[in-house]
Amino acid sequence: MSEDKFMQVLIGPQHPGSGHMRFIVKMDGDIISEFEPDIGYVHRAVEKIAESKRYIQIVPLVERPILADTANINLGYILALERLLGIDAPPRAQYLRTLLAEINRIHSHLYGLGIHGIMIGSSTIFMWCFADREIWIELAQELTGARITYSYMIPGGVRRDLPNGFNEKLSKAIAYMEERLKDYEKIFINNPVVTARLIDVGIIKKDDAIKLGIVGPNLRASGVAYDVRKIEPYCAYPEIDFDIIVRKEGDAYSRVLVRFEEIKQSMKIVKQVVEKIPSGPIINESYLKLIPPKLREKAEQTGIWKMPAIFINLKPRKGEAISRVEAGRGEVTHYIVSDGSPNPYRFRVVTPSFRNLIAFKYTMPGHRLADIPAIYGSLDYFPPSADR
Amino acid sequence: MIPKPSTIKRHLEAIITGLKYIFVKNRLTLRYPEMVQLLSENYRGMIKYYMDRCISCTLCARICPADAIKMYTVGENKLPGINYMRCIFCGFCVDICPKEALEFTNIHDLAYYTREEQIQKPIEFSKGPPKPIFKKEPMKIVVKLDKSRGLKYERT
Repeated sequence: MSEDKFMQVLIGPQHPGSGHMRFIVKMDGDIISEFEPDIGYVHRAVEKIAESKRYIQIVPLVERPILADTANINLGYILALERLLGIDAPPRAQYLRTLLAEINRIHSHLYGLGIHGIMIGSSTIFMWCFADREIWIELAQELTGARITYSYMIPGGVRRDLPNGFNEKLSKAIAYMEERLKDYEKIFINNPVVTARLIDVGIIKKDDAIKLGIVGPNLRASGVAYDVRKIEPYCAYPEIDFDIIVRKEGDAYSRVLVRFEEIKQSMKIVKQVVEKIPSGPIINESYLKLIPPKLREKAEQTGIWKMPAIFINLKPRKGEAISRVEAGRGEVTHYIVSDGSPNPYRFRVVTPSFRNLIAFKYTMPGHRLADIPAIYGSLDYFPPSADR
Repeated sequence: MIPKPSTIKRHLEAIITGLKYIFVKNRLTLRYPEMVQLLSENYRGMIKYYMDRCISCTLCARICPADAIKMYTVGENKLPGINYMRCIFCGFCVDICPKEALEFTNIHDLAYYTREEQIQKPIEFSKGPPKPIFKKEPMKIVVKLDKSRGLKYERT
């Protein structure tokens, strides 16, 4: 037969169909023979805008592309900047950073799980995940004052200390969630309708996963025990006991399971963080002494710290710095080149979604059209994060 | 094809779990504007400006990442005004102010009738965020975390 037997199907770029992107799919009957993701619809030139901003002003800017996982991308930027500035955060700040990063990982995974649920037709799990996500957002709001865009980490520390009664609220949230996750298993994870749609669908073999360079839970679901928190520990992670969740199958179902188990691991980390958190300052000594004494006294009582005026004119040394952080969706790399001026000379973010994007092209062919949402959701792809 | 007994068991478990939640009602939405959530004191909401404390240092305008705060000339002084169409509520201006002339409020009902009202010059800015207007006095709700229900809304 000639080329005529193929049909080209365009999915998207309308948001309900495919997120902020387009899939160009070549179909052979009901079987996908070629799959081409067409991205760039939400490109906002974050990296270029950053070149015209002061270093401190980039903190809210880097959060914008990954709204579901702002704390982790914020952390990566701050770690790279701190390397350039040659300063370090005090131990208490390191623990607070870990705390927010893990709370964010939990609600980012719940977001991914919920979206995947609605993609394969389980609106119950969508409602549950988004409702339970609210608990973690409420906790993060208690800590930072904002629901999603925390801008919590600043060079040399964090902006706010643990508020009164936070530990109690956190333990209640964990107790609730641990019970609730058992119901998640019954209604979604073990549900035969779900397993029928996801098991042995969208398999990424271990070798392929490494070759394609995918990251995060998607890589770990293919049998590679790679987690930046273990391989290149940062913040308080070296002192905290947790496991890397790895599964061998590499299919859509195993990716869901990895995320599901990681929620439990994150709760384990959060528990340890509030137990082990040391006392002391939350901002580096060199910045702390620049805050007027009157404001410092007040901040010690309220836990809400002021920024020193020098933050407007942060001038890191000439050079470059790189940082790696394990965000909810995978490894985030930040690269800053400084020419000694108050703006970066070049700024680059490599986001996990951008690295996972390639998996679409090689995973989809051979499946049926109806498998697209099942595989797409399982990859937890977030278009704005890839487009930046 | 006859399904395996384990499959039937898992089906039943899912249905029973679903049924359980018909009786354990856990409403997670608020009927705004009849019900309004009271936000915590440390919420980063709209900003209050104390003109008498301001020393015209311009730090707030210079740190603003969204160019929302701008300095205006009022008499002989330069004082800040805010554009709420641009504000992203990062709160950097409040945190950098050395005289505590800017303060967070827990108001975030950002709704105005006109575009111009949202660009507030120093005088308007110092009047503070407007009190939200409701047709009927709303029921005030606080969010509590609960071991068995997760989030619980309680009347104050």
